[in-house]
Amino acid sequence: MAHDWQPDFEQLVDEHQSMVFSLAWRMTGDRGLAEEIAQDVFLELDGHLGKIESAAHACFWLRRVAMSRSADALRRRAVRGLDLWVEMEEHHGMQLEPRVSPLGSRLEGLLATLPESQRAALVLRYQEDLTPEEIAATLQAPVATVKSNLQRGLKLLRAKAANHLKEYIRPKEYVRGV
Amino acid sequence: MEEFEQELRQAFERRPAPPSLKRKLMESRRTLDPRRHAFHWQRLAAAILLTAALGGGVVLHQREEQRKGEAACQQVMTALRITNHALEHMNKQLAAHHRVSQE
Repeated sequence: MAHDWQPDFEQLVDEHQSMVFSLAWRMTGDRGLAEEIAQDVFLELDGHLGKIESAAHACFWLRRVAMSRSADALRRRAVRGLDLWVEMEEHHGMQLEPRVSPLGSRLEGLLATLPESQRAALVLRYQEDLTPEEIAATLQAPVATVKSNLQRGLKLLRAKAANHLKEYIRPKEYVRGV
Repeated sequence: MEEFEQELRQAFERRPAPPSLKRKLMESRRTLDPRRHAFHWQRLAAAILLTAALGGGVVLHQREEQRKGEAACQQVMTALRITNHALEHMNKQLAAHHRVSQE
């Protein structure tokens, strides 16, 4: 089908590098690896530019490929989330932006301890603000599976937060509904 | 909205990509571009060669099959001629034998 949209690679990088990098970082817990993944994703996009039909298609494509390449990288490295996060803190000295609160960074740390499928669903839900249907399309998974992963992931993360983040939060806020 | 989910949204805001990402990306792209073009030409040439080889193979196979068919046809015709000849010979002998027995 013919389409009028003309992709500009550099503009796409400017618009979406933060999204791709953040997805890869939250999925792998490794800033260096996330940067490599983001590079690979954009270079792959460069090879597929002719097939991209619109700005929305480009965004969807980037999300899908970023998640897929992050999962591939995780399988290759076969590392566990918590270890990754500890490694990240050690090697990168928590190079977090000043605007990220200690609680926020700790929540990200706990996110890295969740199973990969739950982590993927939560990242797409709360970073990208996608609906379960959009997450299902991105991850190429059934909607029911995504909803289940969201519920379980949220419950698990809330329980971990209640256990590990007592110094930051009022317990009843996080214990409620667990 | 539940407070915990609100906290998650704030914690999971997109992080700015490192400035080196775009620079490295554009450098890689510049390096890869001539290679990519060369790769495309190589792939095209390989595809043409493969198509030609396959096409040639198919034509040769068809010719061989046709040759075999013609040879088989010739053999059948020869066999039919021999059979016909033998039957005629037999027929003549029977006719001669019949004449002798009538005389």
